[in-house]
Amino acid sequence: MIAVNDLRKTYDTGTITVEALRGISFNIDQGEFVAIMGASGSGKSTLMNLLGLLDVPTAGSYILNHKEVSALEEKDYARIRNQEIGFVFQTFNLLPHLTALHNVELPMMYAGIKLSARRARATMLLERVGLIDRMHHYPNELSGGQNQRVAIARAIANNPAIILADEPTGALDSITSLEVMSVFQQLNRDGATIIIVTHEESIARHAGRILRLSDGLLIADDKVEPPIDAGETLNCLRKGAISI
Amino acid sequence: MNIREMMIVALASIKSSKLRSFLTTLGIVIGIASVISVVAIGQGGRAMLLQEMEKFGTNLFILYVNYQDDETFRPSDLQLSDITIIKSMVPEVKYIAPSSYSQMKLRGSQGQKNAQIIATTADYAPIRNLTLSQGRFLSDEDESAGRQVIVIQEDTARELFGPENAVGQRVVVGNSSAMVIGVLKKDSSALDNSSRHTAYITMSFIRNITGQTWISDIWASAVSKETVATAMERSKSILERRHNAPNHYRAYSMEQEMEAATQITGIVSLVISLIAGISLLVGGIGVMNIMLVSVTERTREIGIRMALGARRQDILVQFLFESIVLCLMGGFIGTILGYGGAYVVAKLANWPPLVSWWTIIIAFLFSAGVGLFFGLYPANQAARLKPIEALRRE
Repeated sequence: MIAVNDLRKTYDTGTITVEALRGISFNIDQGEFVAIMGASGSGKSTLMNLLGLLDVPTAGSYILNHKEVSALEEKDYARIRNQEIGFVFQTFNLLPHLTALHNVELPMMYAGIKLSARRARATMLLERVGLIDRMHHYPNELSGGQNQRVAIARAIANNPAIILADEPTGALDSITSLEVMSVFQQLNRDGATIIIVTHEESIARHAGRILRLSDGLLIADDKVEPPIDAGETLNCLRKGAISI
Repeated sequence: MNIREMMIVALASIKSSKLRSFLTTLGIVIGIASVISVVAIGQGGRAMLLQEMEKFGTNLFILYVNYQDDETFRPSDLQLSDITIIKSMVPEVKYIAPSSYSQMKLRGSQGQKNAQIIATTADYAPIRNLTLSQGRFLSDEDESAGRQVIVIQEDTARELFGPENAVGQRVVVGNSSAMVIGVLKKDSSALDNSSRHTAYITMSFIRNITGQTWISDIWASAVSKETVATAMERSKSILERRHNAPNHYRAYSMEQEMEAATQITGIVSLVISLIAGISLLVGGIGVMNIMLVSVTERTREIGIRMALGARRQDILVQFLFESIVLCLMGGFIGTILGYGGAYVVAKLANWPPLVSWWTIIIAFLFSAGVGLFFGLYPANQAARLKPIEALRRE
C-alpha cells in the first residue's frame, strides 16, 4: 500500500539548510497499524506530512496505492487527500465556526456528495464515535476528547484506506487518550490502515509495529507482540474505579 | 461544491464577523445608493420637465423679431398677413396665431383685477393646449365681425364675478365693455405662473380699445415633433423674404429648450455618477483590503480545507464568492437606500420617483463586478498557499 524508498526532505531557509529526512525506506501493508516514534526534531512530523501529501519530498520515491506520488499533479494531490487519506491532528483542526456535523461533512462536500447523502453519513459517523447528542455543538462547546472524536469521524468520512494521525493524543489526558486509541483500534479491525505519530511509548504500543526515527533516519522497525488493547485497559480501569 | 453551498459557506463566514462585514461593504453601499438616487432623481426630473413642457404646448415654436441694439421697434415687422401666408405655404405648420400683449384693468360685477391681455386668434388655444371649463374660445367670426368678447381664467372669473357663472357677463376692459364667452380651466403648471390671470381677446378688439396694431410674437405648432425644426426654418425664411430682412427674425422651440435642459441635467448626473463611481472604487479597495486580512487570518482554515481535499480552485472560488456576496449585500442595501433617497427627493419636489429596473440590474451587476475584480487578488493569494505552510500558521 505504501512503499517509501530513500525519501529525503531538506528545508532550505536561505542561510541554513536542515536535512529533516536523510533517506528513509520502508513498506506499510494494507490493514497495518503503525506508530512512528522519535524525539522532536527526529523528522517524524515531516515524514507524516510527506505521507499525507501535504508537503513534497526533496528526493526519493513514495509509492501510494501503486502510484508514484512525484509523478502526480496538484489536483491529484487534492483528490488523494480527499478520498484516500484521512487526517487526524494533535490540535484537532476543526473549523471553529462550523458545528460538529458540518465539520464532518466537509470532506464529503469537497468530494461532491449531495447534501442529503452526506448529512445522513455525517450523522451516522457521529453516532459511531458516540457524539450523536453533540452533533449541533460548535468545537468550543466540546471537550478535547469529543473534538478529537469529531475529527476522527471527519477523517473517515470518505472511507479512506489510510488514516494518518499526527500526535492524536498529544492534547488529551490519559483516559481520553485511551478512548481515542480504542477508536483507532476499532477502525483498524474494520480494515483501515492506520499510521500515527507519537512520542509516547505507551501510546505507540497500541500499534502492531513501531518505526523509530532519529535525526532523519529510520533506526528501528519493531513488531509489537501483542499490541495493548485500549478497550480492555479502559474496561479494567472502569472496573477498578467501581471496586474502589 | 455547487453555487448554493458556496453561498452558505460565504454567508456563514460573513455572518461570523457581522460588524466588519458591514463596515467593509459600506463603501459599496454609499456608491450604489448615490448612483441609484442620482439616476432616479435625474429621470424623475426629466419626466417632470417633459410633462411641464407638454403643458406649455405640444410641438410648439415661437417666431419673434430679433432687434439689434441700434434698432427701434417697428410695428410692421410682424403682420397678420405673414401668418396667413405661412399657414398656407408651410404644410408642417398645424396651428399659427399672433400674440400681442398689454396690461389692463378688468372690472366685473363683484370686483376688479389687473390682468395681462393677450390679443390673438382662434388657433392660440390648441397651440397652448388651453382647455375651457365653460363656454368657448375666440373664433374666426369673433375676429372678422369685430365682436367685443373676452376669455378669462377661472381665478379671474372668481375675482370679478364671485361664485356666479361668468359666461355671458360683461367685463369692463379699459373704456370698452366685453362679454365673457369662455372660462379657462385652472392651469396647475408650475413653470407658467404668469398666466394665472391672463385674458384673451381678438386682434380687432385690441385695436378698438388701445389702437395697438402690432404683433409681439407669433406662436405656432408643428404637425409633429419631427417637423418642428423644418416648420420653424421655413416660417422664418418666409418672414425674412417678405420683409426683405435676413437675420431679422428668430425662432425658438420647446424642443430646443428641452435639449439644452437635458444636456445640463445629463452633465450634472454624469459628474455625480463619477463621484459615486469613485466611491465604488474606494469601496472595492476596502473590500480587497479586508479580504486580504481575512485570507491572512484564515490561513489555518485554508490549510485544514486543503488537507481535507479542497482543490486550489475550491479555495479560490470560496473567497471570490465571499467577496462577491459581500459586495452584492452592499449593492442590495445601497439600492434600498438609493431608492429611499430618490423617493424622498421626489416627494419633496413633487415629481414621480423613477427607478427603472435596468438601473437596479446594473447596480447589482456592478457590485458583483466590484466583488469579482477586487476579490480576485486575495482569493488567488489564498488558493496559492501551500497546505503544510497554511496548516502550520497559528
